[in-house]
Amino acid sequence: MSNAPLFILLVSPEHEKIQMAAMMASVGAVSERPVTMLVSMNALLSFERDLPAEQAYTGGRLSDVMKDKGVPDAINLLQQGKELGEMEVYACSMALDVLGWETDNLTEGLFDGPLGLTKFLNDAEEGQFVTL
Amino acid sequence: MSNRTQIDARGAFCPGPLMEVIATLKLIEIGDEIEVLSTDQGTVKDLPEWCAKVGHEHVETVQHDGYASLVVRKSK
Repeated sequence: MSNAPLFILLVSPEHEKIQMAAMMASVGAVSERPVTMLVSMNALLSFERDLPAEQAYTGGRLSDVMKDKGVPDAINLLQQGKELGEMEVYACSMALDVLGWETDNLTEGLFDGPLGLTKFLNDAEEGQFVTL
Repeated sequence: MSNRTQIDARGAFCPGPLMEVIATLKLIEIGDEIEVLSTDQGTVKDLPEWCAKVGHEHVETVQHDGYASLVVRKSK
């Protein structure tokens, strides 16, 4: 079976998309597929440090249902994936620049640093690419 | 003699049961087993698939009323 690296570009602040990105990233990482995730655009706002989960996302019906049923939070799932598998999470350097943020403004312990799109795209040539 | 650890993941949503199994695998010895109880419908297919992918043994799946019991043996 293939162990092709998985590259996830997350740009949406929608709860459903962030949840799916976190599920794909964590399951991929624990299935011996190295995962690199780049968070950019409005998705980065969902990872503002100390932002309560109930304020972190936009979302629709599935978001409401997931919250009601206590589905594990996407950020916790990403942290679990990092602990148990091979996963790197980066913040888009352009989005950080326009927000005037540093990595310290983001969820503690989750991000591996800022990353430019050129490096991400070059690395992604060797794997599968998903955009959410 | 192998030990068996039971995880009651009933009520947890995908990929919760799988992640709990993986976290527990790091704590047990080769040859030991984990039995996970799951109400998540995906676990019945996902966990054996994951075992085949990464090299652990799926021992058995037993379907109960409203949940499944899956046994995994640590192989590496």
